[in-house]
Amino acid sequence: MNADKAVLMAGFARMDVKALAVAMGTVCAIGLFLMTVTLLVKGAPSGVPIGTHLGLLDVYLPGYSVSWGGSVIGAVYAWIIGALIGTVWAVLWNLTHYLYIILVVIRAHWWGLMGD
Amino acid sequence: MGEDASAPVINEALLHATVKWNTLLFAGICGFSGAMTLLCMTYISLYRGLPHPGHYLNLLGVFLPGYKVSAGGAWIGFLWGGLIGAFSGAVMYRVYALSIRQQVADYLAGEKSTDDLEYVTMKLYGHSLGLAMGAMAALGLLITTNWLVVRGGADNSIHAELLSHYLPGYSVSASGSILGAMGIFMATYLFCVVLGAIYNGVVALRKTGTKS
Repeated sequence: MNADKAVLMAGFARMDVKALAVAMGTVCAIGLFLMTVTLLVKGAPSGVPIGTHLGLLDVYLPGYSVSWGGSVIGAVYAWIIGALIGTVWAVLWNLTHYLYIILVVIRAHWWGLMGD
Repeated sequence: MGEDASAPVINEALLHATVKWNTLLFAGICGFSGAMTLLCMTYISLYRGLPHPGHYLNLLGVFLPGYKVSAGGAWIGFLWGGLIGAFSGAVMYRVYALSIRQQVADYLAGEKSTDDLEYVTMKLYGHSLGLAMGAMAALGLLITTNWLVVRGGADNSIHAELLSHYLPGYSVSASGSILGAMGIFMATYLFCVVLGAIYNGVVALRKTGTKS
């Protein structure tokens, strides 16, 4: 393979949409799960509620709370949101690359025609 | 000295043009994501029907002048989110692109697919991604914390102080911001390494599934 092709492959390779969705979903799920569990493990003085601020996430994630059950619900939500973000990112990345390559090819054909 | 004379010469102009284009592209995607995230969060907060809409989200106005949880503020947030997202995206890709020579070398060495360009799937370099995103997260925490210190009232920043639950040693002070930045860098780096490993693993699995 020549070096130019390798450069183009490194810069213009297609992103695997499903793989990025799974990876982003998993990382987000682990992140929110760990954040919730950290607060639960650390605990709070008696009478003081745990994680009142993190618990505000239930504004966006109905059913979520800083509790063991809530950590699982939060992880599921985070997986879905992460997967959605991953999908959107990968699709946008691929789409813009395709559009750019199409533009380059059209321009090359145009200049080729003009040269003839 | 020590360079292999038979090694293919990389077209520097092409390499720079590729990195420049991808930087623009990634900045655009991150800008769009940042803008949409802040817009959606503001509108959800507004119309969720809670007694004090955006009580906490309003605190972002400390960092983003003009922003507040209101219909107009949502669009100011949209602009800020876009601006910050685009800047972060550009910096992140530039740092990530430090690995592009390694990627090119991998292709040349035949360690990666030699299929046609349209069939090549990107591999994520977790280490480079971790450095890029970790650096941005650390920089973000340094700037925001020290902004709170400089504008005064750092002692009252009880919400920022809550980060100490996750970042040991963090406090709303100059020294605390450095410890916090180190902590968030390490956490982000780790998450990116995991992200890269999962992504590359799924790509490999799907390839194996396609071939068999």
